[in-house]
Amino acid sequence: MGKTKLIDPDVVQKKLSVLEPRLAELQRLAEAETDEKKRLRLGRQLERTRDKIRQAKTGERFSRQTKRDMVAYSFIAPNFIGFAIFTLGPVIFAFVLAFIKWDGNNAMEFAGLNNFAMMFGNKRFLAALRNTIVYCVATVPFTLAAALALAVLLNQKIKGRNFFRTVSFFPYVASLVAVAAVWNMLFSPAKSGPVNMILYHLGVASKSLPKWSADKNWVMFTVVMFSVWKNMGYYMVIYLAGLQGINGELYEACGLDGANTWQRFWYITLPQLRPTTFFVTIILTINCFKVYDIVYMLAGGNTGVLNESAIVLVYHIYEEAFRNWNLGYASACAMVLFLMVLAITLVQFRGEKKYAN
Amino acid sequence: MKKKCLISLMMAAAMAGSLVACGKGGNTDSGTATTAAAGGDNGSTTAAETVAAAEGQTVMKWSIWDKDLTAYYQPLIEEFEKQNPDLKIEMVDLGSSDYQTVLGTQLTGSGSDFDIVTIKDVPGYTTLVNKGVLEPLDEYIAADGVDLGAFKGLTDQIQVDGKLYELPFRSDFWVVYYNKDVFDAAGVAYPNNDMTFEDYDALARQLTVDTPGQEVYGAHYHTWRSAVQLFGILDGKNTILDGTYDFLKPYYEMVLAEQEDGVCQDYATLKTSSLHYSGAFSQGNVAMMNMGTWFISTMIEKIKSGEYTDCANWGIAKYPHAEGVEPGSTLATITALSIPANAPHKEDAWKFVKFVCGEEGAEILAATGNIPALMNDDIAGMISAMEGFPEDADSTEALQTASLYLEMPVSNKSSEIEIVLNEAHDNIMTGNSTIDEGIADMNEKVGAILAQ
Amino acid sequence: MKITNTKTRVLRVVLYVVLIALALVMLVPFAWMLSASFKLDKDVFIFPIEWIPKNPRWQNYIDIWSKIPLMTFVLNTVKLTLIVTFLQLLTSSFAAYAFAKLEFKGRDLLFLAYIATIAVPWQVYMVPQFMMMRSMGLADTHLAIIFLQAFSAFGVFMMKQFYEGIPTELCEAARIDGMTEYQIWYRIMLPLSKPSLSTLTIFTFVNTWNDFLGPLIYLTTESKKTLQLGLRMFISQFGSEYGLIMAASVLSLIPVLIVFLSLQKYFVEGVAASGVKG
Repeated sequence: MGKTKLIDPDVVQKKLSVLEPRLAELQRLAEAETDEKKRLRLGRQLERTRDKIRQAKTGERFSRQTKRDMVAYSFIAPNFIGFAIFTLGPVIFAFVLAFIKWDGNNAMEFAGLNNFAMMFGNKRFLAALRNTIVYCVATVPFTLAAALALAVLLNQKIKGRNFFRTVSFFPYVASLVAVAAVWNMLFSPAKSGPVNMILYHLGVASKSLPKWSADKNWVMFTVVMFSVWKNMGYYMVIYLAGLQGINGELYEACGLDGANTWQRFWYITLPQLRPTTFFVTIILTINCFKVYDIVYMLAGGNTGVLNESAIVLVYHIYEEAFRNWNLGYASACAMVLFLMVLAITLVQFRGEKKYAN
Repeated sequence: MKKKCLISLMMAAAMAGSLVACGKGGNTDSGTATTAAAGGDNGSTTAAETVAAAEGQTVMKWSIWDKDLTAYYQPLIEEFEKQNPDLKIEMVDLGSSDYQTVLGTQLTGSGSDFDIVTIKDVPGYTTLVNKGVLEPLDEYIAADGVDLGAFKGLTDQIQVDGKLYELPFRSDFWVVYYNKDVFDAAGVAYPNNDMTFEDYDALARQLTVDTPGQEVYGAHYHTWRSAVQLFGILDGKNTILDGTYDFLKPYYEMVLAEQEDGVCQDYATLKTSSLHYSGAFSQGNVAMMNMGTWFISTMIEKIKSGEYTDCANWGIAKYPHAEGVEPGSTLATITALSIPANAPHKEDAWKFVKFVCGEEGAEILAATGNIPALMNDDIAGMISAMEGFPEDADSTEALQTASLYLEMPVSNKSSEIEIVLNEAHDNIMTGNSTIDEGIADMNEKVGAILAQ
Repeated sequence: MKITNTKTRVLRVVLYVVLIALALVMLVPFAWMLSASFKLDKDVFIFPIEWIPKNPRWQNYIDIWSKIPLMTFVLNTVKLTLIVTFLQLLTSSFAAYAFAKLEFKGRDLLFLAYIATIAVPWQVYMVPQFMMMRSMGLADTHLAIIFLQAFSAFGVFMMKQFYEGIPTELCEAARIDGMTEYQIWYRIMLPLSKPSLSTLTIFTFVNTWNDFLGPLIYLTTESKKTLQLGLRMFISQFGSEYGLIMAASVLSLIPVLIVFLSLQKYFVEGVAASGVKG
């Protein structure tokens, strides 16, 4: 594609007089640098400067890097254009809203940090924040472990593998209305509820039987249990797909050394699954922070109103946005949620990068 | 290399093209029905649904819920269109469970093209009024000389800053439903229309059977806050927006004691099992249940279709009352019509509102077993004369009310207060807090909201 | 590894016992749905559960077709789900390739933008998004739902993670052979990512199929509504037709299960590994 145009030697000379000393300087720096990371960055800068010198000499309109960039952008464009218009745009707008008082119809008023100040004086917000964090801390590790165990188990050559895989995915696809209803029946707060019946026979006094999702001390526990059970199939599928990417030769090599199953898992499967685990952890964390419908179905009852013992952030956002039409305040709450997730994600990204190097 | 580039570009172009084509399809669909330039972007009528929209007719959109479950929409529209051949009403079903959310979103901004909207409850009403998306109706009412006196004071209770933004067409109130078979089996006389709370409690206890496997519950309280908490406001001395709630204590004591003794089903179990009140009553082991009059038409219909066999022999009685209060004082819930501030055809929309909320609309509602807001003796007679309505004189008498109190009065804080009251109710009923703690909680939180 | 001693045999038995117990736990809700779908509404929530109804009510499965325009709902949902899934797969895997295997300016920033939006709950930007769609004339069109679902950040993120698992040496070798990036994507990446493509297909299919809030806000005309919307229209404050809901839920599960069953055959070992060898 290298279209050449007439080369003006003066212009080339002018460009080179800037670029060449920079190249020399970069080379000197790179040699002196001991830190691995910084050296890599310098290496990239060197590459780019060399490209520019080549470009100046040959007179090509686009440098190689620019061309490479263009190809990359053409890959991203079909998705990104739709994404930018329909998701990113409204999201940015929502962030701006966090500093505005708006009911969706009347004129907007600049509110500064008022929305945030209101938030920390609101008992329901504080309860929601606490419950959401408790929920995440409890749900993420259990779901992760259960999904991984299930995937490894169902990746073996066993009879009825397809059946077991499908069945594990069941709770995720089945209608939430239905599964929440069954769950609440099994964990009925009555003394005659199936689970309470078992507990009673195991020697729990009938006065101290938990009321599960109707009990302010047990409701989050019930929700966490339900959520692990319902979602582990989903993450199992991601892990299953990840397991297919592992090179079988690695196991063969290891098998010769007489490694046992546990060692194979620990030294090959787990490290090889790292990108998958990274992905699952992030998505799982985000989804946990965004939890709403599960809690609503389990603990909402007929009125669909969540108490302080069970309220979660997204529910609070929903009730403020659509019951009270405090769109600005709701956005501010979302901003807090977003910042928490962002912080966790960045920590994970950093960990991933460190590990990868 | 160039060729590959070209192919990928073409692929992208083809994709974009297919999307545009798709979009055009959608637009033409919506474009045909709407004439108003402003509403052109939200036209949702498909060709299939506007077959009858002839030349020169104005089509108005009416937001509703549960189209197939509600018997009166269609007859109302038919009668209205017969009287106004140049107008057509198109129903838009927004679903009942999230109705207020969807309606609020639809009316946001200036692009909405609804002409008439149904308002489900008072908190939803005040929210929309606060948002400024509803048209005040006072001028229309004055111009047409509509007599608000016929609404028995209901319209005074829903004014916001002296203005009326909705006109009620349905006004349900709470009564006690009872299963005559249960009373007959126990050899106890049916509830009468003049019960005090003591009488009611004693009666419920008398009917209770706690033999395992054959339980009979003397009373049943649905998990809504209204079913228990609002016993407290019927003496007219306190309202639910007062900010102090100590007057609720005796009623919570009564119901919690009943729950403890197995007179009614456990709240926590009912809550988690999501058992619908109709499911509970139709089992045939509930003697009395307090519920709104909207349940009358369900009872008639389900008994007729043969689904409810264990409660086919039923009756209704007036709500129990506190000592010294006139019987027939009860809770009311209104359903009303409003015109959005951006409605394309306000004058024609008003014609429809006037028709539905007026006497003709009331008769159509009554004919389907529903209680219109415009209630007089003739209309009450129409309901009790319906096939399937209990034939005894007491049940007919129970339709006469003395004072009506809204389940939630109008206030711009009502949706916030509602949340506090719901939460405290739930905590008291599940035993997560004692009655005193729950009431203290309400006093504190509602006080804080009112002080804002 | 073919030594069948008692220890491995015992392990096998334990494994199967665990799996069967697990399967039972997973299947209970479905059994309940199935049993509820043969009951009268009033009997659905009665406790203790009657697993096999004495008088199974087949009528529920007939009634749902006439009580709501179920056929229209199903067709709408199928149409939306197919378009969304196709677009999602195509655009996500395309974009993910660039994020995973190409170096370019602004890569990390763009990717961060994607991840950032995953963390924002939809409830927050639903209203501005709705107003924007309406001003574009997209309210009450299927196109709105397609736009809403097809360009999700999730798909890009997931595909990127899987592409990163494919050795970069493969791409470099192909580049030396003179393949363009588009060819590498089409000839190497796509065939190697069958398990992850299957995963994305399943997820997108399930999500679009079960999506409720999107269609609820955007679709107001009955003839455009989707299956989940139709299901929820039953559940109402003044009367709950649970028997019918469960019958419809059972029916609505079938397509999802078919998709899962037909795609999970790609979850077999060594697809990627054999690619490396070949």
